[in-house]
Amino acid sequence: MSRERRSLLAGIVLVAALALMPVAGVNDYFIAVAVRMLIFIALGQAWNVVAGIGGLLSLGHGVFLGLGCYATGILFNFYGLPPWLGVWVGALASLVIALVMGAMTLRMRGVFFALATIAVSLALDQLARHYVDLTGGDNGLALKFLGNSLWFMQSRRPGPFLYAALAFVVAYYWITRWILASRFGLEMRAVRDDEVAAAAAGVPVFRTKLLGLLVSAVMTSVAGSLYMQSYQAIDPETAFGLSQAIQLQLPALIGGLGTSWGPIVGGAVMILLSEGTNLGSTRLGIAGVDILVYGLLLLAVVMYAPKGIMGLFERRARGGS
Amino acid sequence: MNGAAALEVTHIAKRFGGLVALRDVSFTVRDGEVIGLIGPNGAGKSTLFEIVSGNLPPSAGRVAFFGRDCTADPPHVRRRAGLCRSFQKVRLFETMSVAENIAVAARQCLPPDKDWRGEVASILARMRLAAQADRLPSEITLADRKKVEIGRAIAGYCRVLMLDESLSGLTHDEAEELIGEILTLNRDTGITVIVVEHVLSVLAKMVKRLVVLHNATVIADGTPSEVAHDPVVIEAYLGTKASVLR
Repeated sequence: MSRERRSLLAGIVLVAALALMPVAGVNDYFIAVAVRMLIFIALGQAWNVVAGIGGLLSLGHGVFLGLGCYATGILFNFYGLPPWLGVWVGALASLVIALVMGAMTLRMRGVFFALATIAVSLALDQLARHYVDLTGGDNGLALKFLGNSLWFMQSRRPGPFLYAALAFVVAYYWITRWILASRFGLEMRAVRDDEVAAAAAGVPVFRTKLLGLLVSAVMTSVAGSLYMQSYQAIDPETAFGLSQAIQLQLPALIGGLGTSWGPIVGGAVMILLSEGTNLGSTRLGIAGVDILVYGLLLLAVVMYAPKGIMGLFERRARGGS
Repeated sequence: MNGAAALEVTHIAKRFGGLVALRDVSFTVRDGEVIGLIGPNGAGKSTLFEIVSGNLPPSAGRVAFFGRDCTADPPHVRRRAGLCRSFQKVRLFETMSVAENIAVAARQCLPPDKDWRGEVASILARMRLAAQADRLPSEITLADRKKVEIGRAIAGYCRVLMLDESLSGLTHDEAEELIGEILTLNRDTGITVIVVEHVLSVLAKMVKRLVVLHNATVIADGTPSEVAHDPVVIEAYLGTKASVLR
């Protein structure tokens, strides 16, 4: 069986196993963990487009997560707009912010883009804290709960979100695969490897980087809307904070940057480890062990598997050196 | 060679602060010609190369490609128009296979109705790289890396090929083979070739015309024999006729 078929089969088995969890009567806690895992995988897949395939280090991708969360939340709480529509407002806002940010920084070489993403994060963090009436300020914004409803995408139990998150991960997986196989993906990979050589091969470098950022921003924002519906609340630190920004990067970094399976494997490892250590730290009475584990995991990846878990598989497949 | 001007460099100057890298450089390359651009280290060859390919803006002057002023065009626009280049230090897409490296340019520069896969296969065959198609650049020899870079440079659409010290670092046999392939390319396709080297003896075998840069300006333009006997060139290279040709 070819590698391609093996990975497709593994994907089908995984999706089927996760989809059967509510039907099989699995405890809601485990389903909620699966939802969290799938949402972070989707967010990681979105970051992977700009950073993994495109090589643009976005350190403030929480901006787009936050815009997705706040847009759907505010429009629902104040105007009764269902998230099915609010999600597109968040996506549009993310598109505009990404366009402005990209237009200002992507022609420059070096760290300017990364710094700009942090600056925009800090600015939106302050705005979210300042406009208390709209955003709930430091305390955050909690969604009004109107009861179980598909139209308002609300449920007391995590089961429905499992299916929604699963659909996101599958859709984002196919988007990633399409990008990698397309001319656009080839352009992004060329720009990531060497901008000067890419231009010399006819690639419009600025346009390619900007397009990559826009696609990733919209994907993050749309996944952010699902995050909002699932968690029912958002606050400035969760949306725009540094630790959240790091969490968005970890699935792709741990799993393998620029690959279609990387964020999936990395996100699963990250959340399962986090839940395991959380459980352990609660029993031991030591708070924050999961953060320590993240740090150590990242260190281990950088030192021993700079291309992530998928990079290790790739190395084995290519002959092992 | 049909005699039309493929590339016109007119009164190009480049200053980096107080440093004058190029001063009033002008020359014309005819369609189908193979010319050499030569000069000692620091003469301004690489700066001129970067200006012609669009990576550096000139402080003054104009670059025209087949009669059209392209001075303000970005590099990718020039490449799509057929102005192609290699790099002094080979720059390949290191995470992509040899075939993918060539495919990047083929997919950008080939008209949409043409088959880019066929173009990649044809370039791989022409550069004798078919056996390396699926390898990563880090897995092949320097000579093959240089071939990949030239293959990528000519993929899709190429009218003028600029080679920046493509022969450096190669063994005598590898250099001879590459020279043969470049000349065959020129003969078969009519692509104009501009070769930058700092060793005149290498270029003398390849080209019928040499442009010599020294101290940021053109000091000679003629056949290799004329250039080798030019007292200004001999003085610039601080040697005798014999040492210039060696």
